[in-house]
Amino acid sequence: MAPIGSTVELTASSDALVRARQRAALMPDLLIEARRVVTTVIAGWHGRRRRGTGENFWQFRPFVDGEQVARIDWRRSARDDSIYLRDREWEAAQTVWLWADPSPSMLYRSSYAQVSKDSRALVIVLALAELLSRSGERVGYPGVIEPVSARNAAERIAAALLTRRPEVSFPPDDRLKRFSEVVIVSDFLDPVEELVEKVDRIGRRGIRGHLIQIADPAEESFPYSGRTEFRDPETGGKLTAGRAEALADEYRRLYAARREYLGEHCRRLGWSFILHRTDHLASEVLVAAHARLSGAPQLARTRA
Amino acid sequence: MIGGLALSFGTPLVLLGLLSLPAIWWLLRLTPPRPQTEAFPPLRILQRVIKPEETPSKSPWWLTLLRLLLAALVILALAAPVLNPRQTLLSGDGPLGILVDNGWASGRDWDTRRATAETLIREAGDAGRPVALAFTAEGAGDDATPVEANTALEHLAAARPRPVPPDRDAAVARLSTALSGTTPSLALLTDGLDDGDGAAFDRLSALRPQQALLYRPGVDRVVGLTGADNSTESLAVRAVRPEGVAGPDSYELRALDPQSREIGRAALEFAAGSSTAEAAFPIPVELRNDIARLEVEGGESAAAVRLVDDSFRRRRVGLISGEAADLAQPLLSPLYYITRALQPFADLVRAENRDLATAIPNLIKQKPSVIVMADIGVVPPAAEQALQAFVEQGGFLVRFAGPRLAATTGEDRLVPVRLRSGERQLGGAMSWSTPQAVAPIAATSPFAGIAMPDDITVSRQILAEPSSDLPEKTWASLADGTPLVTAGRLGAGTIVLFHVTAEATWSNLPISGAFVDMLRRIVSLSRAAVGSAVESGATAANVESLPPYRVLDGLGRLTVPGPEVQPLAVAAGRTPPIALANPPGLYGTEDGYAALNLLDAKTVLRPLPALDLGAPVTALGYGRSDILDLSPWLFAAALLLFALDALAMLWLNGGLRQLRRRLRPAATALPALLLALALPLLMAMPARAQAPTPPQDPVDLQRAIEATDTTRLAYVETGDAATDENSRRGLDGLSQFLALKTALEPGEPLGVDIAHDELAYFPLLYWPVDAADPMPSDDAISRVDAYMKEGGTVLFDVHDGDPLSGLGTGSVSPGQRRLRDILADLDIPPLEPVPPDHVLTKAFYIMKDFPGRHTGSDLWVEALPREGQSADRPARAGDGVSSILITSNDFAGAWAVDAGGMFVYPTDSSDPAQREHAYRAGVNIVMYVLTGNYKADQVHVPALLERLGQ
Repeated sequence: MAPIGSTVELTASSDALVRARQRAALMPDLLIEARRVVTTVIAGWHGRRRRGTGENFWQFRPFVDGEQVARIDWRRSARDDSIYLRDREWEAAQTVWLWADPSPSMLYRSSYAQVSKDSRALVIVLALAELLSRSGERVGYPGVIEPVSARNAAERIAAALLTRRPEVSFPPDDRLKRFSEVVIVSDFLDPVEELVEKVDRIGRRGIRGHLIQIADPAEESFPYSGRTEFRDPETGGKLTAGRAEALADEYRRLYAARREYLGEHCRRLGWSFILHRTDHLASEVLVAAHARLSGAPQLARTRA
Repeated sequence: MIGGLALSFGTPLVLLGLLSLPAIWWLLRLTPPRPQTEAFPPLRILQRVIKPEETPSKSPWWLTLLRLLLAALVILALAAPVLNPRQTLLSGDGPLGILVDNGWASGRDWDTRRATAETLIREAGDAGRPVALAFTAEGAGDDATPVEANTALEHLAAARPRPVPPDRDAAVARLSTALSGTTPSLALLTDGLDDGDGAAFDRLSALRPQQALLYRPGVDRVVGLTGADNSTESLAVRAVRPEGVAGPDSYELRALDPQSREIGRAALEFAAGSSTAEAAFPIPVELRNDIARLEVEGGESAAAVRLVDDSFRRRRVGLISGEAADLAQPLLSPLYYITRALQPFADLVRAENRDLATAIPNLIKQKPSVIVMADIGVVPPAAEQALQAFVEQGGFLVRFAGPRLAATTGEDRLVPVRLRSGERQLGGAMSWSTPQAVAPIAATSPFAGIAMPDDITVSRQILAEPSSDLPEKTWASLADGTPLVTAGRLGAGTIVLFHVTAEATWSNLPISGAFVDMLRRIVSLSRAAVGSAVESGATAANVESLPPYRVLDGLGRLTVPGPEVQPLAVAAGRTPPIALANPPGLYGTEDGYAALNLLDAKTVLRPLPALDLGAPVTALGYGRSDILDLSPWLFAAALLLFALDALAMLWLNGGLRQLRRRLRPAATALPALLLALALPLLMAMPARAQAPTPPQDPVDLQRAIEATDTTRLAYVETGDAATDENSRRGLDGLSQFLALKTALEPGEPLGVDIAHDELAYFPLLYWPVDAADPMPSDDAISRVDAYMKEGGTVLFDVHDGDPLSGLGTGSVSPGQRRLRDILADLDIPPLEPVPPDHVLTKAFYIMKDFPGRHTGSDLWVEALPREGQSADRPARAGDGVSSILITSNDFAGAWAVDAGGMFVYPTDSSDPAQREHAYRAGVNIVMYVLTGNYKADQVHVPALLERLGQ
């Protein structure tokens, strides 16, 4: 019997970029919801529903002494006796940090999935970068590239990752600033206490996070049976089970409970927590992430 | 041989290998199965689950036991054990004389008989003794000279059971000649039956044998059929069994047609103590003609088969009448009643020609069994000679009297008795006498048993001249003793004369049932085809020779005759003896043959009496040789254990579980898997059909309550799980929006199976149409049609692969094609895109268009009647609600929210207004469906209030 799972090479970000582009091309433009955009001076595409610097018309307003004469809208003013100014809508951009976990456990791929977790994580990150940059957001990768507002942000991230990929599983938070958003794509298999501690540390700085948990189907369903020796690709630890199928129920329960705990913690923080299995399409998680990034639910649940 | 077990080993030294078992046990205990290695990142989670000491380091005890048993079996098998090793039967020296009965009674157990003989010959061969082999049913060519054992084995292999009685006398003589001058051992392999000459074996005592082995099988189940009578009521079969068999016994008899198809069955019951029995087949006469063979089921001998020949066949009857007006007035024709009487039992042939001189010879050429002549007085000489020849060869001539016969003056040779000319009249206006009744039939008459009704009267007849042989020629007479039916033999045939007419003018006999019985009796007395039968025979003078057509073999099967079979010489009144040259079978040609059967009616079977051979006689039974070489069985058992071991390993390693999982789409459990393998059709069925849907109760109460306790939106389950989930989420989102914005608080949306579920509970059915989904059945579509006619509304949402093609454009996408296929079976009124003044645009929100996740497709509704004068009204609505709404904007995608209230799919444009409008479109549709044209009327409220002066 061939083993179910295997460990693959680290995914090259250039390959992932091509696939990420394909995924991103399917998605409409991503606009971080305006309500939570920080008040930065950097121009973005988020209408702030208030006057400010921007390109779109917001309102006509009666001229008050002391204001710049150059802002008078003469066409409007010519229609009656008053003099009007033309206000524009304030538009601003959001900073989004992206992170894909490069740890060895991410290199796992079972026979039930087409790609490794690492490959899928990179595709998601680059696709999000593509989407966000298309919308004019500032996109960064902690420890690799500073936030840039460029149309080719995905390419830049991919190029930078080719040369340097951080070894740590969680993003270094020294550069993360208040009111920015961070998207962390990982399998979150570290001990849950450590995870919660790291999440809390980022959350305390006023950063809103989105955790995307990538899971291999084999990890979730535990299809092993019989006498099996399990080996952890990250620590190298080994464990032999006499009858693996006898463990399946207990394992699944524990796995689900752990995930539930993490998701619940994120909800308390106001973070979002998205599950994704590598045997599903990357577009699915992109759609979900898109929804999380673009806004909170606008419908109130009327039923329990 | 070991103890009472009768077990011996060919190579006992190999048994020493059993000593190695403890070592094997020790090795097996220490070697656990090798684990499967798996990379598994969430190992830390697993660490909490697993208990360290749970891992067995040793094989389970039963696996060890299995393997030890396997090793022990192989060692035992290699030691070549033999159960019941052969026992020595022969003693002394000198040649071995074997006499084998291979007559008809040996067919049942021939294999065991041969095996016994083989064992004896081999034993003699091992002792270096020559063997003299004689068969009792073989002819003089059988050579009994003592030969080497190998040659004797070849003789034995060539021997077959013969379908003839054994000729022990000759065989004993051959054996005695061959063995004279020696002191042989004798083995008599008998069939257990006495051949009538019980002393034959005793003559062997002259050889002064050292030893005699007498094999005699049980004769309990020996049965022979001795006769079959085709009487008028039923087919009776007689059977015989050996005397001395006391207990009651029963056999199944079968009647077969020439193609060996079963025609009928009957039970043959031997009463206790009786050695003969009779069985009756209650088969109609028409079917009895088809019988070719009667046999005892499982009889396997030539005696258990009774072949049937043409004498069983349906008779052919030729009809001649002298009346010219026969065919013009059929009811008055003399042949009318004869035809009616004989039609069911015989083939009727009519004379084609009026001219008797040509008609009669032509009729005889068709080989009838019986010729009926009704009232023919004078027969032309040529025809008379032909008729006479016909009768002399065994034909039956039946004549009826009449005015013409009565008027005959000359000598008529074709009558059984001399007739007085003129007729006798009984009763009538000028007579004192009264019509005569018919006397009961005499027991000696061939008509015996036919009941004569009292009301048969004869008013006219012709009379026979009294003579001394008249009474014995009389088959039936009147109450005053004058003959009514007379018959006489002529050659091999018979002439029967009815002294009345064949129609009802002289007597009412022809219209009575007795007439039918009499004619049938005559026909059944006649022979099938004149000139080809055996038992009633040809004339005594000539002996006919019939070539063999098919003969029986020793097992009672019909086979093509071999070269030794001679033609059968048939002489009248004599049954040819059964011999190897004339085995039982069919003789003749395919067109007409005679059956020669083994046993005749007088056969008596007797068991073999005790023998006096002048030497100690060891009586033995044939038993199967019970020497059993155990090593193949042990090897097979070892192989079975090996397979079990492989299965156990697979189970221990979880391979079974993986196999099952891999096949889960087809079957969830192993038995079901086997079933699925046996029935590949099952695999071909769609997955949906496999889910066992319990037969739907007409009103599923639980579901009805669930569906109706609150208003619910419903979607059609297409069978595609993703599409259904999308629909559910979409309607869930819309339900939440409705609850938020309107007074309607719908329940959880429900999926409905249009083929089975009750649809009437739902005001609106959302139906996503995708070409990839299975086409609903006609039955389901007709249910939807009924639902729409009852007032329901179906919202079709066509999923287009190509988002650019909307319903408005000219191209047709696969989804639209599917929609057209569905709608083709529905009764759909004309449709139009929602006009600006349609009530849908005003049902809750004021809307211009109805976007979903996509924009650009119109929403199509039933076309409203154009009303010229009311064009200025702000909203129009027909009566009721459009039963159909069609869009391709993917409403559900726009409405869909997940459990957390998040939108599942982005809309085409990033403008949030599109989603809002999609929801509003949904609200309008639901409101329109629920309130109908209420909103259209609502716009008039201000005007109405004004008129009322409020």
